[in-house]
Parts: sequence; C-alpha cells; structure tokens
Amino acid sequence: MNINGLEKTKTFSFDRSHSAKVLFKRPDKFREIEDLSKHNRTLINTGSNLSYSPLGFYKDSISVKLKKFNRIIDFNLKKKEITVESGITLSQLLNFTLLYDLWIPQLPGYPFITIGGAIASDAHGKSCALHGTIKNSIKEMTIFHIKNGWLSLSEKENKEIYNLTIGGIGLTGTIVNVTLKLEEFKNKNFITYKTKVNSVNECISEITKKSKEKDSFVYSWNMAENLKSLGKGFVFQNKINDDNVENFKFIPEEKKNKFLPFLPIWNKLTLKTANWIFYYLNNSSNHFQEDDFTSVIFPFYGKEAYFKFFGKKGFYESQLLISENTIEDFFDEFKFIYKKFNPTISLFSVKNMRGTQEFLRFEGNKICVTFDFINNKKNILFMSELDKICVKLKIIPSIIKDSRLSKKIVEQCYPEYSRFRDLINNYDKKRIYKSEISQRLEI
Amino acid sequence: MKYLIVGATSGLGRELAYTFAEKKNNLVLAARDDRDLQAIKSDLSLKFRVEIKTISIDFSDIEEINNKILYDKEVHKNLNGVLFPIGFMVDKDNLLLDLKTIQNIIFANYASTNYLISKFFELFKNQEFTIVGFGSVSGLLGRNVNINYAAAKRALESFFESLAFQNKKKNFLIQFYTLGYLDTNLSFGKKLNLPKGNVKKISEIVYKNRNRKFLKRFYPFYWRIVSLLIKVIPFNLILSIKNLISKN
Repeated sequence: MNINGLEKTKTFSFDRSHSAKVLFKRPDKFREIEDLSKHNRTLINTGSNLSYSPLGFYKDSISVKLKKFNRIIDFNLKKKEITVESGITLSQLLNFTLLYDLWIPQLPGYPFITIGGAIASDAHGKSCALHGTIKNSIKEMTIFHIKNGWLSLSEKENKEIYNLTIGGIGLTGTIVNVTLKLEEFKNKNFITYKTKVNSVNECISEITKKSKEKDSFVYSWNMAENLKSLGKGFVFQNKINDDNVENFKFIPEEKKNKFLPFLPIWNKLTLKTANWIFYYLNNSSNHFQEDDFTSVIFPFYGKEAYFKFFGKKGFYESQLLISENTIEDFFDEFKFIYKKFNPTISLFSVKNMRGTQEFLRFEGNKICVTFDFINNKKNILFMSELDKICVKLKIIPSIIKDSRLSKKIVEQCYPEYSRFRDLINNYDKKRIYKSEISQRLEI
Repeated sequence: MKYLIVGATSGLGRELAYTFAEKKNNLVLAARDDRDLQAIKSDLSLKFRVEIKTISIDFSDIEEINNKILYDKEVHKNLNGVLFPIGFMVDKDNLLLDLKTIQNIIFANYASTNYLISKFFELFKNQEFTIVGFGSVSGLLGRNVNINYAAAKRALESFFESLAFQNKKKNFLIQFYTLGYLDTNLSFGKKLNLPKGNVKKISEIVYKNRNRKFLKRFYPFYWRIVSLLIKVIPFNLILSIKNLISKN
C-alpha cells in the first residue's frame, strides 16, 4: 500500500507479543523529516525495530524510520568525539571508531541496533557495572519535533528535554543526530573466565566481587528449570586480552540466519536438555577462553535461533533492578511463587548495574536480574505475581524489555512516572508522538 | 579521478556517490538542499578520505547552473566525468498542468542536462571525459501520470543517441541507462508487478562501465524485453488493450 511514500506493513515487537499493521515513512532528506506534518497523523520513531517492547510502532501512528540517516557528520580525534546521525547502527559506528582505537562502552548485545534506538531506550550493555548506560556517552543531540521544530539538546541547552529524550522512548520527537563522547579502547580481543556457582547467593556474591575489578565485564548464566537447580551455573568475566594484538575484525553489518523460520521448539523438556548440555560443555571445558570483539560485545549475533525457537507466539522478558538489601527477600518470594506456578524459564542471568534512576530510565546502583519466559498462560500468571513482588520490594522492572507491564505497576515502581508523563504532556501538548507503550502506560 | 554527480543526495545519486568515493574518486556533488549535501560530504570524506566539493543548486534555474557549475573553475578543474542521476517530479503531472510547471519539469529533466553537456563538449574536447545519463522506463510509452516527466525522459534518451552520433571521432565516453523501478524512496511502499532493481548493483555497473565509449542499457534487464514488445506491438493495439483493461 502506498500513500505518499508510506508503506503499510504488519510489524511485530521483538518478543512478538504485539503486532500491528503500521504505516512506515523512510525519509532520506532533511526536507522529508520536516514534511512529516503533512500527513496529519500521530508519529513515532523506529530504529531497527529490535526492542522487545513495542517502542517503535502504534496502530494509529506513522513509524518514522531513519535508516537513511546513518552518516558520520563529524569526528574529532583529539577531543575523542563523534557526531553521527541516529539511524547509524552500532556495527557501522564501531567499524569506524575502532579503527582509531575508540568506542562507546555502553553497547546493547546486538550489532544492528541503531544509536537513536539505544538513546531512546537508554540502553546498557554487559559493562553496565562499570560504564552505566549510554546516557554517560552522550554530549549533545539534535531532534526534530513537528510542533517545536529543530532543537539542540545538551546539559547546557534545553536540559529538561535533553533529559526527557534519553530513555524517553521516542516521545520527545525524532532524534536526528547525536554527538558521542568516545573512550579509548586499544586491544579488541578478550579472555573470558568462568567460575562455577551452585546457588543464587553464591552467584550474586561472585558477581559483586568480580564487578569491582577494573576493565572487566561480569555477568552470569544460571539454570532455572526447577527450584533444586535454581541459580546453578557460571559467572563469566570478559577481560581485555593484552597478549593478543591480532587485528580487529570488522563487525558484520548484515544479519546472519536471515531466513530462519519461527519454530516452537522451546518447552520444559527441550530447555532442560539444552541447558544441561550447555552446563556440561562449560563444566568440562577450560575455565578460560579467548574471544573476539563481536562474540563478547554482541553475544546475540549468530544466536538468533534462540529467539526463533519460541515460535510465532514469542516470549516475554523480565529485567529487574533489585537493591542489594532486598535481593535475598526477592529470591525468597520468587521461590515461593515458583513453587506455585512452576514457570518455564528459558534464561536466567545476573549482572551489576551503575547509575542514578530518573524518569523511566532503567538505571541504578543495583543488581540487574533477567528472566526469559515462554509466552503461555501459566508464565503470564507467574509474571503478574512477580509484578506484585516488584511493587512490594521497590524493584524496578524494565519497560523496554517487558512488554506486558501495565500503567498500574509502572506507576508504583517508578517514582518519577508522573513527573515524566506531566513533562511530556507539557512539552508536546497535542501528544503527537505515540507508541503502543506510551498508550499502554497512559503517558 | 574526479566526477560531478548531479542529484547526489538521494536514491541512485547518493548510491553513486558512495560507490565512486569508495573507489577513491574525488567528487563534486550537486543537489538542492545544502543540509543533505553537507551530511553526505562529511560521511564520504571521513570514511573514504576523498575530496568532496558540494554545490547547492536548483536545477530548474539556468542562472544557478551557469554561476555554480559552468563559471566555477574549481568544479571543472581535473574533472573526468559527469553523471546525471537527476529526476524532478511534481504531483499531478497531467494534461492540465500550467506552463511554468511544464517548463520546470522539462528543464530539470531534459534541457538542463542537454545544456550542461553541450557546454562540457566544448570545455573538455581535448580530454577523455565520461558522460552518464539516466532515462526512465516511464518514457517508453505515453501514460496517465507523470506525463511531462516521461516525455522529458524520452527526449533525453534521444539526445544521448544524438550525442553518440556526434561523438564518433571525439574522446567522450557516453553511457545511457534506462531505469525501471529501483529500491529507492521513490518506490518505497509501492506494490509493483515487477521486482525493484537494486540501487547498489546499478551503481557498481555504472562505475564498471564508466570508461566504455558508448553504452545503452536497461536496468533491471527485463525492461529491455518490455521495451522490445512495446516497439513491436502496434500502438493502436496497445491502446485497445489498455482501454479494455480500464473498462474491466
């Protein structure tokens, strides 16, 4: 279907929980961004549409895709700064900056995520215990808003909108370009060390201890197929390999396994089998191994089958920020509801996080716990119980990852929910930028 | 080597700029909006370390063409060729269009190219010089929409053929491509009966053939067959078929 350069396509959130027939606009000129008002509809911005939660579309909005705005606008080696357009993907950005031994360290785990998408969701990566979220690498931005026009944003200029835009789920307008502060990164090869852990407590204390070490990224892989083995697994620690000075291999700029179909393979039995195979393979191999840049920084690249094996119904992810004081209480309550619902969990992982929580940003000096669930009734009920624990223990659930969170839960878990909503409504009085998530959360 | 690309900020023009820059050619990029030009300029010069000059120009304005291209010696200095992936379309390009708009369409899509090439014929008569033109399959047959655009593109093809006749003993390298739908913003969202051509691929083809003495080619290739059919079938028959389809 074509209406003045618009394409109507059925599109899905990455977890496949939401879908809609959406009109896409793909501007390739500045004039076309300015002309978006001609369509007289609500808008929302979309990057590569890789968000678990439906950030980039809404049934009544035009999704603005800045795929063609992927250029490098300025690069200052001395100042270690780069200005790029927001449609540039992480791999395109890094393939340029790493040639100069520079990077931004807050990199979500897939190379085709766009910088604009990463900013709108205030993304973090494996190194979030050290480097926090992408907010820490942003110097300034330029956005375009249909009513408010072109705006330069930084700590010094339009500070409030700048703060609303980072992690602002695309509601302040279209991020067109951004200046990033780069950090030195000389050696691009890693050694991954692993430590076996037998319980959740052991895992958390190991992660807390290892996260304090300089220049290392620490995270865990744990089993959760039953209460007996809950937390059993490995703590991985990626450290820069100073002995391997091999040249940097370019990060792929195209998807692998493009045509892999959605096959509903994951269930209790297959997950149990896959997890135990993974466990025994890791248990029987060396406690360290050499890894290249792509496999460490973008662990999901080449492993797309994991997501496809949930089938067309997809999955849900719950990512929680839990304070050290309440982590034991959380797992006590978690075990209690686990007994009752016996959920099917396909992934359980822990890492540390650093930052200050503001607005709807998933940040804080806390422990970040992640679970993936098969999309079925029992698991949804279990997740609802998990929501109650979040409210009770003041835990922050990620709105970017969990696409089923309701306004009621988010309002209770995010102390600044109302402030964010009010500021957005004040800035964009006609509420032109709307997505499924903004509608669900009544922002 | 240095090439001038007219209409360099979107679609095929933009892709040609990337292909030529990647092969370490310096470029002069001409297009309407300076913001688009500056973005491409910085990206190309940072990624490929080539020299880029930009010209913000309205191609339906003869004064701008003279001042910004023909009278600017910096543009022709060491220039090895010019490419015209330019297309100017307006909404409702039909029989009821006013004269001024018709003139703009004809000038931007045909006369400006014709004018510039005739001047370059003089300027570069003593060196090998590449001239690449781009027509459109819309010019194969009269139509209901974009009628002046299609007419201009048909005229352009004829002009390039004439150029080849004129050029028998000269050093100009003349190539003309008749393009079907490409996967650019112009065709974004359009449901077409035939697949869209890959813009990266045609850019590579253009680059590869840039030193050919004369070349006339369709892209995607299947438009050649369509073109042959249109030439073979009597126009009255085509018209009858078209009317029959419209009635149904």
